[in-house]
Amino acid sequence: MNILVFTKRVAATQEEELRIRDEGASVDLSKVPFKINDWDNYSIEEAVRIVEKTGGTVTAISIGDAESDEVLRRAIAMGAKDGFLVNSESVFHDPGVRSRLIQNFIQKENIPFDVIFTGVQSEDDQFGCVGGILGAVLGLPYSSMVIGIDAVEKDHMIIRRELEGGLQERIKITVPCVLSIQSGINEPRYVSIMGIRKASKVERKVFKAADYAAEAGPGIEVVQWAYPEKKGVATMLTGELDVVCGQLLGILKEKGVFQ
Amino acid sequence: MPEQTATRVLTCIQCGKCTGGCPESGKTPFNVRMLMRKTQFKSNIEESLPWYCTSCGACTIRCPRDVKPSEVVIELRSKLVEDGEIPVTIQKALENTFVQKNPWGRSRNKRADWLRKLDFEVPHVSETESKRLLFVCCIQAYDPRCMVIPVNVARLLKTGGIEFGVLGEEEACCGNEIRRIGESGLFEELQEENLGTFTEYGVQEIIALSPHCMNALKKEYGDTGIEVVHYTEVLAKMVEGGALKFPGSFEKKVVYHDPCFLGKQSGIFDEPRSILKAVPGLELLEFSRARETSLCCEGGGGRMFFEVESVYQRNAEVRVIDAGKRGAQVIAAACPFCVMTLEDPATEKGLIVKELSEILMEVI
Repeated sequence: MNILVFTKRVAATQEEELRIRDEGASVDLSKVPFKINDWDNYSIEEAVRIVEKTGGTVTAISIGDAESDEVLRRAIAMGAKDGFLVNSESVFHDPGVRSRLIQNFIQKENIPFDVIFTGVQSEDDQFGCVGGILGAVLGLPYSSMVIGIDAVEKDHMIIRRELEGGLQERIKITVPCVLSIQSGINEPRYVSIMGIRKASKVERKVFKAADYAAEAGPGIEVVQWAYPEKKGVATMLTGELDVVCGQLLGILKEKGVFQ
Repeated sequence: MPEQTATRVLTCIQCGKCTGGCPESGKTPFNVRMLMRKTQFKSNIEESLPWYCTSCGACTIRCPRDVKPSEVVIELRSKLVEDGEIPVTIQKALENTFVQKNPWGRSRNKRADWLRKLDFEVPHVSETESKRLLFVCCIQAYDPRCMVIPVNVARLLKTGGIEFGVLGEEEACCGNEIRRIGESGLFEELQEENLGTFTEYGVQEIIALSPHCMNALKKEYGDTGIEVVHYTEVLAKMVEGGALKFPGSFEKKVVYHDPCFLGKQSGIFDEPRSILKAVPGLELLEFSRARETSLCCEGGGGRMFFEVESVYQRNAEVRVIDAGKRGAQVIAAACPFCVMTLEDPATEKGLIVKELSEILMEVI
């Protein structure tokens, strides 16, 4: 089974105090480190596990700037055979534009595949719909929130989807198809620096995104970055420990949390 | 496994001195002599076993054939790291270090936050005349319990008239535990980055706050030409020379715990003791296992980042019980790892753990 996995290099923002600059025109990421999108890490691991069992290849594809090569090297170190960079210095916020670019790229370059994996969402844009749109434009069956792949056959797969209320849905999906992989589907292996260095020796093919641009322009554009409105519900207690503890107990009693 | 290590292992005579000094052998499934034997015969080694090692170095110090068992354990871990088969919490610590240059994944931009607690400015090392760097360490830069240590030491150095600077956000993890976890590639990256920074700013001397950092910077970064010392070495000289005086008094019985990387691995036993002895009112006690035979707290070698599978009495608890038997009121240590591991059982048993600088701040 040949699996294409889309992987994105994203800013690691969890621990950062992000600053909006130029009156909302952009976010200052100059001192923020980057990493692989968490969902894509699970997607690559799942794809590699499948080909380790059933044969075939994993191809990692990243749409982004030259630095995105980093996530391709990582994917190869995890077990992907190839890494393709669809290079663009522009950022495609619109998931529709992104999906059509992927469609054009796959079709123009005639890239063979049985299944396409995307992460459920990316940590930066969080639209969570590239997989769905891609399935639609390619005319393929699509499933979101995949939390388990129970069987892989030539013409179909049995997968599990995450539903509300703690339920799971087991479905049969025809191959070829597009799946959006949920984090937690597996435990991704550790990728050592030595492994990444070895992977660097595998040639990564670079394509120009401009050659596969969507016919229509973006339907979604970022107008302004903004901080969430401050609601002032947090109370900061300061002072000596016993005073602060006394204040805290008072508040907890007042709110009925502690009798 | 590198040929040199494999050849060394073949010289093991199974005398058992390693196991005899190991803080894990005998009470956990870990048996360092057995690991050497299995390595000699290339037998299968259960994957969880290498992770019990605390990298205290007792086995390597005691080995009569220079097999360096603790280094062999690193090689065994290396294989697991290369295969990607490591405990999730260790994996997280490594990935965090790759991204944020510290095992907790805290923002690198906040690495110098401890400086805000000072009432004076500490210059960047490049702006100092001495080019003397205070190397802070990840735990002490981020952990709320240990952030007080760099603050204290900075105050003590200033009081004693020692000029020093910092790197702030430019400091990266020293890699001491990363190498011991078996991630040699990541260690090399950290080493390269730190050495590049030291060279860029012409660093001449490093005062390391953590014995773990001191070990890596002094012994594992190669011939850097930079003098690396632990802060207790500097303070001991200041006390001896009269530059640091203690007008207050600390009327307590204090037992000093030798951290493995400071004591048995670096031979720094007397400096912390001479500082404590200079504190008026302080009565210095010794553990039953002190100096070269000091019992490891089990915080090093990556053990800080994960729990081993078996349940057994922790060394930190053994240490606290011994401290209590000796009549100590306070356990003093000069290592953030030791402070963190000793504090929980000590609190349970009504004892206080203080990092050495915390005692000094009460008497200056």
